[in-house]
Amino acid sequence: MTSAVTIPRHGGTGGRTAVAARARQVVKAYGSGETRVVALDHVDVDIARGQFTAIMGPSGSGKSTLMHCLAGLDTVTSGQIYLDETEITGLKDKKLTQLRRDRIGFIFQAFNLLPTLNALENITLPMDIAGRKPDKQWLARVVDTVGLSDRLRHRPSQLSGGQQQRVAVARALAARPEIIFGDEPTGNLDSRAGAEVLGFLRRSVDELGQTIVMVTHDPVAASYADRVLYLADGRIVDEMYKPTAEAVLDRMKDFDARGRTS
Amino acid sequence: MTVLKTSMRNFFAHKGRMALSAIAVLLSVAFVCGTLVFTDTMNTTFDKLFQATSSDVTVSAKGASDSGETTSDNGRPPVMPASVLAKVRAAQGVKSAEGTVFSTSVTVVDHKKDNLSPTSGGPTIVGSWNGNDARTMKITSGTAPKGPGQVMVDADTADKHHLKLGDDLGVISAVGTHHAKISGIADFQVTNPGAAIFYLDTKTAQQTLVGRTGVYTNVNVTAASGVSDPQLKQHVRAALGTGYKVQTAKETADANQKDVESFMNVMKYAMLGFAGIAFLVGIFLIINTFSMLVAQRTREIGLMRAIGSSRKQVNRSVLVEATLLGVLGSVLGVGAGVGLAVGLMKLMGKLGMHLSTTDLTVAWTTPVVGLLLGVVVTVLAAYLPARRAGKVSPMAALRDAGAPADAKAGRIRALIGIVLTGAGGYSLYLAANADKASGGSLWLGLGVVLSLIGFVVIGPLLVAGVVRVLGAVLLRMFGPVGRMAERNALRNPRRTGATGAALMIGLALVACLSVVGSSMVASATDQLDKTVGTDFIIQSDSGQLVTPQAVKAVKGTPGLARVDEYKTYEGDYTTPDGRTLKDTDITAADPAYATDLRTKTVAGNLKDAYLPNSMSVHEKFAKAHGIHLGSKIRIAFKDGATANLTVRAITSSDVVIDSGAKYTSIATLAKYVPADKMPLDQLVFATAKDGQQDAAYKSLKSALHDYPQYKVRDQTDYKQALKDQIGQLLNMIYGLLALAIIVAILGVVNTLALSVVERTREIGLMRAIGLSRRQLRRMIRMESVVIALFGALLGLGLGMGWGATAQKLLALEGLKVLEIPWPTLITVFLGSALVGLVAALIPAFRAGRMNVLNAIATE
Repeated sequence: MTSAVTIPRHGGTGGRTAVAARARQVVKAYGSGETRVVALDHVDVDIARGQFTAIMGPSGSGKSTLMHCLAGLDTVTSGQIYLDETEITGLKDKKLTQLRRDRIGFIFQAFNLLPTLNALENITLPMDIAGRKPDKQWLARVVDTVGLSDRLRHRPSQLSGGQQQRVAVARALAARPEIIFGDEPTGNLDSRAGAEVLGFLRRSVDELGQTIVMVTHDPVAASYADRVLYLADGRIVDEMYKPTAEAVLDRMKDFDARGRTS
Repeated sequence: MTVLKTSMRNFFAHKGRMALSAIAVLLSVAFVCGTLVFTDTMNTTFDKLFQATSSDVTVSAKGASDSGETTSDNGRPPVMPASVLAKVRAAQGVKSAEGTVFSTSVTVVDHKKDNLSPTSGGPTIVGSWNGNDARTMKITSGTAPKGPGQVMVDADTADKHHLKLGDDLGVISAVGTHHAKISGIADFQVTNPGAAIFYLDTKTAQQTLVGRTGVYTNVNVTAASGVSDPQLKQHVRAALGTGYKVQTAKETADANQKDVESFMNVMKYAMLGFAGIAFLVGIFLIINTFSMLVAQRTREIGLMRAIGSSRKQVNRSVLVEATLLGVLGSVLGVGAGVGLAVGLMKLMGKLGMHLSTTDLTVAWTTPVVGLLLGVVVTVLAAYLPARRAGKVSPMAALRDAGAPADAKAGRIRALIGIVLTGAGGYSLYLAANADKASGGSLWLGLGVVLSLIGFVVIGPLLVAGVVRVLGAVLLRMFGPVGRMAERNALRNPRRTGATGAALMIGLALVACLSVVGSSMVASATDQLDKTVGTDFIIQSDSGQLVTPQAVKAVKGTPGLARVDEYKTYEGDYTTPDGRTLKDTDITAADPAYATDLRTKTVAGNLKDAYLPNSMSVHEKFAKAHGIHLGSKIRIAFKDGATANLTVRAITSSDVVIDSGAKYTSIATLAKYVPADKMPLDQLVFATAKDGQQDAAYKSLKSALHDYPQYKVRDQTDYKQALKDQIGQLLNMIYGLLALAIIVAILGVVNTLALSVVERTREIGLMRAIGLSRRQLRRMIRMESVVIALFGALLGLGLGMGWGATAQKLLALEGLKVLEIPWPTLITVFLGSALVGLVAALIPAFRAGRMNVLNAIATE
């Protein structure tokens, strides 16, 4: 299967569409001629609003590329990507930057924070850049949710890795973006700190109605999601709803075995 | 060997990051080499010129200087009777001899009365056309001058003033004005040192320059074959006796060369001094570059250490990189230096001195000095960062990049900085309160050096405070972008401090000199207002004396209440303490000069100094030689009789105008000095009748229309001229300091460029979460401006301190008024902000162009 378009376009989420982002026939290729490498091969995908989506796949499967393209960080070779009703493919850098600033949140694997700013300043940075005042109540709730109230004045270097990632989560949540993208957000954390961060992501979906897309290769991390998409060789090869760590692991083993025999 | 290999690889891997450091080395080395090549070339050129223009043996009057200078106080060249020529011709070993007449105390004008003298300060020479000149000048059109109605002019002057055959010229000398038509134009066969030369026939030259025939200024003697110059000199001397100056070609050339060399040396050392400042500034740039490279490579170095490299090897590998940088920069610098010298020669050509590139002299020492300086300075500058690299622990390989701040080093630095700055401040305080200029200037020098080093050391600690203040004032309005710029500037205080310090050095000197310069102008203006009681000053800007004809023209001007003449002369003094002071100056003026310049007296009445056989001295002179009112000073006037003058006034030494003058009346001087030896006026003062100033000024100007070499100035003009003169000098110094400032700007660019590289990931992150390109560029520009303003603030503060101290010290020499040139200083401060913006252009552009994903993925 190369498509993950399974969700009705309009659902019960108020005025907004039920699909937060979608990709249509997206191709991403590097190089040309004999050296051409296809990272994404005519991918169709819908990201459901208010859900936690995990993208999995072996190294080189194109999972990070897909996320980068969805987030407007990378350009596509062909196809369209929509954020809500806005087509972002073909947007100029200025518009794209604004879009990232106002409508998208990011959590990277590491180096998420500016070392010169303290935790609170890092959290409000996207809004500061935009020249918007943060919603105080919301901010307090977010900070509370991620459990950082007593660490707000600390510089990143004074925080542990788990705390740093929680600040990053808070930053992504604080601006109330339409969608948050996480690039292996727990990849650098031990299992306890990782579980903490994933717990917060889950809660932000359940309690705050946030839409989250996360790239990971950790079955345990994927088990926090509502839906898991599997990528291999630039195509979507499978998906799974309400995953458990065991089920994900089994499916992964399956792919591995198939990969080895073919 | 591996060390060298790693160093080479590192060097070439980071060649972009080394580029600005290499340019800094290049510029400084180029300036040094350019100066050396240029001055050597000038010396070669003049050497050739003097060799070519000197005859085998030259005989001149006793009063002539060794280098053949033919000016004297009475405006006429010192001459010998024609009989000398006959005696020389009869002497043994003489093949031929020719009498010539020359003078440099002349002005030549064209038919519109425009001055034809070189504007570059070269001499105007009028002389007789003779065989010696025919060797170095070639008549290119027309004929040699014959008879009183003809004059020949050099081709350069003819070109510059569009003179052609048949044009009417006026030769103005102390004798009068002689008119003649151009009969020929002669071109230089040797380098024209920037002079304007006019030839008359011998008789006309004698008449025009000396006022009578049968006299010569020089006799050029050619040796018979087989007679050496020293032998010929012996023979000529034997024939003439001791009353004349006899010099071989070599002696004449050497004497001339000595004059040129002493001038060239002043220029050489001044320029080398500025090159030294540029080097000093370059050191900061190199230190920063290597510190940043070492910091960026911490993990790599840690890995090297972990797999077994010794500290020494790591240390050495950085120093080897520095050596490579030094060699590269210096080699290019030596080449650029030669180019610079050629450029300067071309520039001299524009000023009227045509230097030939065939004379380009590159002594073997020049590249050696350039290379040594460049390499040694670079390696020295890299030493501290290299040591820090050696200290990197193997554990660094495992840690994330970024060196932890060293709190202890900060405290030691603070202590050293405070001690040095304190000592510097105290020295300056002592200098300001010194009661002797000589002792005070030592303290001033010490204070300047100590406070400069102190500021450099303490700079990184001041960064926090100063940048926050600047941030509060300037950056707040730029919101979060401004705040991030401020934080970035504060991030590595040592780096910001060193970058700012580089700019500080140049700007401190600019501030100091501008304070001293404007205080000079203000003090002189103040004293002019308080003491000058005359309306107009007439003088020549090229130091020529005022001819009697011009004085007559002034005296005949309507609307003037009085005209006072002012002359200086020399004599050997015998003072009451029994000492004899050779060749000491005396000022002779009309009695009313006491009103024209109301010099304060500490004893007696200055007017009495103009009584017959009376004089005044100044306080310091009186103290030094035990002189009181009524003391007698014996003066043996040069070329005159001996007088016993009574001291009737003692003037204050504390003046700017006429500082150190000893006055007597012209009438007194005339009693002891024969009329034909009386000096011409140096200055003429004219005072208008009440209420007729404007009319008198106009009349004076038209009266002196025939004498374009003299300028009439009223007090306003005079003040302006004074201001212009000092302004010109300051501009020249600022121009030379520009080199150091350019290197400092390169330093700012360098720091920003390397910071941008260092923060690639951060920039990627910020772009990912929505910082626009424009905001990113603005952030980098703001950081740059803050660094530049930090340097400017420190530099201007320091420089003002130095300048004010210098003024306090010079108050002892009459520099009474402290004037802070705020417009200049504010312009410099704002200019620094502009410099910051310009320096950020390329780093900001490159940061903006970074690919977001690649930037985030950077290790």
